[in-house]
Amino acid sequence: MEITETRSNAVVIVTVTGRLDATNAHAFEEKVLGLIEAGETRLVVDCAQLDYISSAGLRVLLVAAKRLNATGGKIVVAALKDQIQQIFDIAGFSSMFQVYATRDDAVAGVR
Amino acid sequence: MTSSAAPPAETTAVTLKSRLSEIERVAHAVEAFGSRHALPARLVFEVNLALEEILTNVISYAYDDRVEHDIVVRLTMQPGELVVQVEDDGRAFNPLDVAGPPLDVSLQDRQIGGLGLHLVRKVIDDLQYRRCDGKNILVMIKRAPSPQPR
Repeated sequence: MEITETRSNAVVIVTVTGRLDATNAHAFEEKVLGLIEAGETRLVVDCAQLDYISSAGLRVLLVAAKRLNATGGKIVVAALKDQIQQIFDIAGFSSMFQVYATRDDAVAGVR
Repeated sequence: MTSSAAPPAETTAVTLKSRLSEIERVAHAVEAFGSRHALPARLVFEVNLALEEILTNVISYAYDDRVEHDIVVRLTMQPGELVVQVEDDGRAFNPLDVAGPPLDVSLQDRQIGGLGLHLVRKVIDDLQYRRCDGKNILVMIKRAPSPQPR
């Protein structure tokens, strides 16, 4: 897994590449919760290169969404591959998270 | 890790240590097994997801000591189905007893835990658990196209 962070004005885009699983979810958690603790309130998780996610990764998204929701912030996801969309659907995340087709749509939508 | 082809029921067994880093080795074994049997990519993905969830639970919660334990994963191709068996010597735990988290609730009410076993139940067609000789034996059955001879 690789995590990269880019910024578009007030929006921070976190790009996750490869597999997000129990062995590396802690790195993703540190990154995302670190951004929230640093005061960021508009987060996009770009999943265009994400091949795999398990409950360990979903858990991080849920924790981040709860924290941001409590403070008026927002985290959205973009560009889910079919198999990731399927996991979002069966986990009940598709109704909890705003899912955008592209990163640009997500950046515009999360503002 | 490779086993010689012995149709009709070929079994591949992987013995791993009770460390999260071992899960990747299992994932590679499942992928190799999947390509040997021409299994659809989606099926391989779902089996790997279920295995990760089960193995993570075992490794994180099953042991009362700090000693490394062996966990055995067996993959068996049968006509029309892939049978995945996970055997561990941790404390007795039947994943079928765990209720899934309510999904139709608001973000703030959504509970953090319980998601892994929920995913397992969703992607696996049939789950069977038994406790035998101090071991947990979980059998996960995934319906699959009949194996393609190569």
